[in-house]
Amino acid sequence: MNSPNSSARTRVALVTGASRGIGRAIGERLAADGFHAVLTYRADAAGAETAAAAVREAGGSAEAVKADVTSAADIEALADRLDREREGVDVLVNNAAVLKNGLFALMPDASWNLVIDTALGGTYRMTKAVMRGMLRRRWGRIVNISSLAAFSGSAGQTNYSAAKGALVAFTKSLAAEVGAFGVTVNAVAPGFIDTEMISFLTKEVREDFLKRVPVRRFGCPEDIAPFVSFLCTEGAGYLTGQTIRIDGGFVG
Amino acid sequence: MPDDLKKRVKELIVRQLKLEMDPSSIADEAPLFGDADGGLGLDSIDALELVLGVEKEFGIKVQDEEVGVKAFASVNALCDFVREKAA
Repeated sequence: MNSPNSSARTRVALVTGASRGIGRAIGERLAADGFHAVLTYRADAAGAETAAAAVREAGGSAEAVKADVTSAADIEALADRLDREREGVDVLVNNAAVLKNGLFALMPDASWNLVIDTALGGTYRMTKAVMRGMLRRRWGRIVNISSLAAFSGSAGQTNYSAAKGALVAFTKSLAAEVGAFGVTVNAVAPGFIDTEMISFLTKEVREDFLKRVPVRRFGCPEDIAPFVSFLCTEGAGYLTGQTIRIDGGFVG
Repeated sequence: MPDDLKKRVKELIVRQLKLEMDPSSIADEAPLFGDADGGLGLDSIDALELVLGVEKEFGIKVQDEEVGVKAFASVNALCDFVREKAA
């Protein structure tokens, strides 16, 4: 896995949107695996700082960083600093995303653009910023957080589904380009994970949804983090270009 | 001096791409990429390697593809590019 005790440098794992939910769980898990975890947040400083503090208390290494993935300037500044201070980023988890649900026919341009620009644009910007270092060091792990929405086609989520679906295709294409350099690129597509992002769902919608989940429960961030952790190990070096659905077996 | 740069570039190409050939046997004007006759027949993965090699050897960052395609057309093109960026 990682080798924090050897003379080799401590590898750096950057997780976007890590102040809460799935991103936070992934960040905490990668820190536990021995990476120095860089947890980025757009606005929820408290959440990110709490996560970083929890990591440190458990004996790990982490920092919370304010960086909006829709801001090229923020991304560049962060990547430059990590290049200078830690020789760059070894693991990148593109997790930052926002929801702006609504019927397509009534969707404002801003809703479409923001969702696409955060999940897909943010992935583009962040991955581009750290890729050169991974290629140079001939080791890297890119994990893109897609979604069940990329496959299930539910009404009211055309923008989100488009962005998350795009990540699946992007993953395959990028994996083909950088495999020769020891960099793997994969995506994880979580189903309904009980975090703040789905807190607005009504009881009826929840019950209805559960009927289509063989595992008969909502997922939690701890259902996602272990697999991401595995993808970032040495042992996963032959696994690339894939999208793995972690959705309780959702049928639909 | 120009010859020295050419030599460095040819050695960089052979070293970075692990080619089994004598650097001096690379013609100055030979197309590095693609299937052209007399060319080296390098591909896009090799292109990435060269970008990294140029960065390491000359400290020059190739930021976008447009620049890269022109700069890497041949040994001569690459020498021109390095001289231009170093100026």
